[in-house]
Amino acid sequence: MLDEVLTQLALVISILVPVSVVVFIGRERLARTRSEWRSRLRTAGPVIAVLIGVLLINRIARQTAPELSRQIGFRLSGAFYELEGEFILIFQSIQTPETTAYFSTIYVYGYTFLLIFPVIAYFTLSDTRIFRRLLTAYALNYAIGLVLYILVIAYGPRNLMPAELMERMLYDTNPQYQYLTREVNTNTNVFPSLHTSLSATVAAFAWKTRSEFPKWFPIAVVLAASVAISTMYLGIHWGIDVVAGTMLAAACVVLSDRLVGRWSVAELSEQLVDRLPWPQKQE
Amino acid sequence: MNWDPTPSKTGVSRRSFLAAGAAGATLATSGCVGHVRNVVGKAVSGQLSLSIATIPADADRQSVQIARRLEANLQQVGIDVSIDMRSPSELLKAVLIERDFDLYVGHHPAGYDPDFLYEMLHSSFAAEAGWQNPFGFTNMVFDTLLEDQRRAEGEQRKRLVQSVLTALAKSKPFDPICLPDEYRVASTDRFDGWSEADLTTRHGYLEPEPADGVDELLALKTDSRPTSNLNPLSATMRERDTIIPLLFDSVATVHEGEVQQWLAEDITWTNVEPADGEQGPVLTATIALREGCRFHADERLASEDEQLSDEDRRLTAEDVAFTYRFLEDTSLGRAPTPSPAPRYQSHVSAVDRVTVDSEYELTFSMNASRPVAKRALTVPILPKRFWRELVDERAADGEFTAPQGRWIAATGDHVPPIGSGPFQFESRTEEDQLVLTRFDDHFTLREDVELPGPPVDELRFEIDPSSASAVRRIGDGNADVTASMLDADVLDEIPDTSDIETLSHPSRTFYHIGFNVRNAPFSNTHFRHAVTQLIPKQAIVDDIFYGHATPTATPVPDEWVPERLAWDGEDPVTPFLGSSGRLNVEAAKAAFETAGFRYDDNGRLLGGY
Repeated sequence: MLDEVLTQLALVISILVPVSVVVFIGRERLARTRSEWRSRLRTAGPVIAVLIGVLLINRIARQTAPELSRQIGFRLSGAFYELEGEFILIFQSIQTPETTAYFSTIYVYGYTFLLIFPVIAYFTLSDTRIFRRLLTAYALNYAIGLVLYILVIAYGPRNLMPAELMERMLYDTNPQYQYLTREVNTNTNVFPSLHTSLSATVAAFAWKTRSEFPKWFPIAVVLAASVAISTMYLGIHWGIDVVAGTMLAAACVVLSDRLVGRWSVAELSEQLVDRLPWPQKQE
Repeated sequence: MNWDPTPSKTGVSRRSFLAAGAAGATLATSGCVGHVRNVVGKAVSGQLSLSIATIPADADRQSVQIARRLEANLQQVGIDVSIDMRSPSELLKAVLIERDFDLYVGHHPAGYDPDFLYEMLHSSFAAEAGWQNPFGFTNMVFDTLLEDQRRAEGEQRKRLVQSVLTALAKSKPFDPICLPDEYRVASTDRFDGWSEADLTTRHGYLEPEPADGVDELLALKTDSRPTSNLNPLSATMRERDTIIPLLFDSVATVHEGEVQQWLAEDITWTNVEPADGEQGPVLTATIALREGCRFHADERLASEDEQLSDEDRRLTAEDVAFTYRFLEDTSLGRAPTPSPAPRYQSHVSAVDRVTVDSEYELTFSMNASRPVAKRALTVPILPKRFWRELVDERAADGEFTAPQGRWIAATGDHVPPIGSGPFQFESRTEEDQLVLTRFDDHFTLREDVELPGPPVDELRFEIDPSSASAVRRIGDGNADVTASMLDADVLDEIPDTSDIETLSHPSRTFYHIGFNVRNAPFSNTHFRHAVTQLIPKQAIVDDIFYGHATPTATPVPDEWVPERLAWDGEDPVTPFLGSSGRLNVEAAKAAFETAGFRYDDNGRLLGGY
């Protein structure tokens, strides 16, 4: 079942990405990328390594974090529910089979595409800074998100109001997606909404690069807003999670500016060499 | 107490008097912490505040909806309520082990015989952790009724059970809501005989007949706990035994509501006349075990420094006797205080003494009549060598304590498990799947045994996220059967095709609201009464179960229910204060005032009374 969903996702992405590359990036940049990709990869190498590291830690934490979370986490499902009550049910007013289909598609396919495409787009820019900043912001989102997931134990609205959300809950209309989402996350990890924070991060970067990718900017904004709404519409997140996700995105975008270019690998390794107490030096 | 229970002929027994006294003393001190918390909670506004513990919709769609109905109604009568959502094992931990709750919504596995009420309600268990008396309920007259029903038979027992039910409906340590219809779906592609197989019992996975060439049965489970814990003693890792009886044998087994011989080849019952109306044994069971049964091959059964031999794996009368002793005190008398298992206490408390007569023969002295005594024979039989060694190791350094329900014997995952059942553990991936394989040495595979044996080489339980996705997979022919009871919302959407079979089982389990009667305000019977009148049982059945449940005032099926407690469109003792599911707030508030509670000028129910 998981294989089926994954194949479908891979198929959709493998169509969307090449089309978008043609539409949003343009031939000239692609041509330059072909000649410069080695040096760009070299510059961005450390950031790529950091992102991969964070993703790996996230993967491993899926096994160990729940236990830690049970011990030190705060149980906030009741508090969230008390705070915002049935706020997310306002989306009932726009509920139709079509909107449900739209938001389900956005939640699974739109989101994945939204995350992947800018990585490719920004790699085609000669100045790798924006590319490195994007990856840094991704890494920060995941890292801070993981910490918050450990600290906050909360179930999403679908777990409290299954009946009210029934017609539009992702897993009721498309139960097969559960095979995918449970690979990625557990049902107590709702605060903050990483779907929202990563999408908002992408939208913020789209704004910064709107002169380089003028057509991408409106698309990214619409997609990002749709993703944020979909998380509430489908009953997966509370409004609080979405607000927190947006704040997390803002923090990550600002932090990525401060952090990227702050250290060079060469300098760092020099410092490291100086600090290490090599045996030779002691003689 | 405002009720007048039927006085029993024998009066209050000494046993229950002592038990209630001891439990009361323990509770009086253990309740301190909760009391302090309550006082602090009230100091802020004076308003009474409560927390309803329940599980997320992912685990059970109905519980949380019941909790929210009750929450809304409690709020309407001026109580500050919050919902405390926990995973299934954490809810059970809070309720059964830590006893840290106000009230909870739960789904109780019940049992085919009403004696499970003895375990749920007897005072002697009030201070123990586990499935035994989680409410902290103590009542001597009640205890006597519970004891008397176990010693009676036939019509007399039925009358006593009815008295228990009547007393229960009046005192309400918990309030049953409904008996849900229990459905599963199976694919008829690869197996035959689903309709005869009751998947709530051991026989369920033994009776389906595979088509030619089919050597694997794939069952979908929505509860992932069995992939992380297979300890038969665990209180928190399962509500009902369905996988444990496949891995472990018991002396007798339940089939079609009757207890049948399983490990026992022969059971001879003898009535004993208790002397002078004393509480001694009333029945003995002389049991001849099937010879040559073995436990699954596991190195941990090997005698010291030796290869595992068939001799080490033999299941004898010693193991059976040990199991009963161990369940009664998992520290085997070596800890300063006994440590009863957090399960099966109704079973083992019916057994006074087990005597080993020979290698395969033993005698049980029972303090209960036949129906209850038979049920006592259904606990999983454990290998003495493994569990005694566990205790020996822990006790070796002299400083041995075995906190009841909380020490490793009860909380360890016991993976791989060592049983003797028709299937043995093969592998598991946590949260994902559990694979069992046929145990070739099992007695059901012998030619001269007329019982169903493991029909396939491999029995695989895959964890599927929800009833909806599980039903879909069965429909697509990607799995053979759903092992978990289906949520009510999918029942009307089961595809009506010839290759899907809908299996229904008699409804025995029940949804209920449980109260922590150790602390205020639920220590007050009047308060409990008022709260239960806020539960719209009929509307819950109609709206939340889509009619696939039977509203009830009692936690047992019809055949035990006295007429005065029969459902007549309304709870006969504590009717819902409202109509069509809508609360009559004035009437409900009046009920709380009658119960002795007061409101402030803003309509908030005050906690101090």
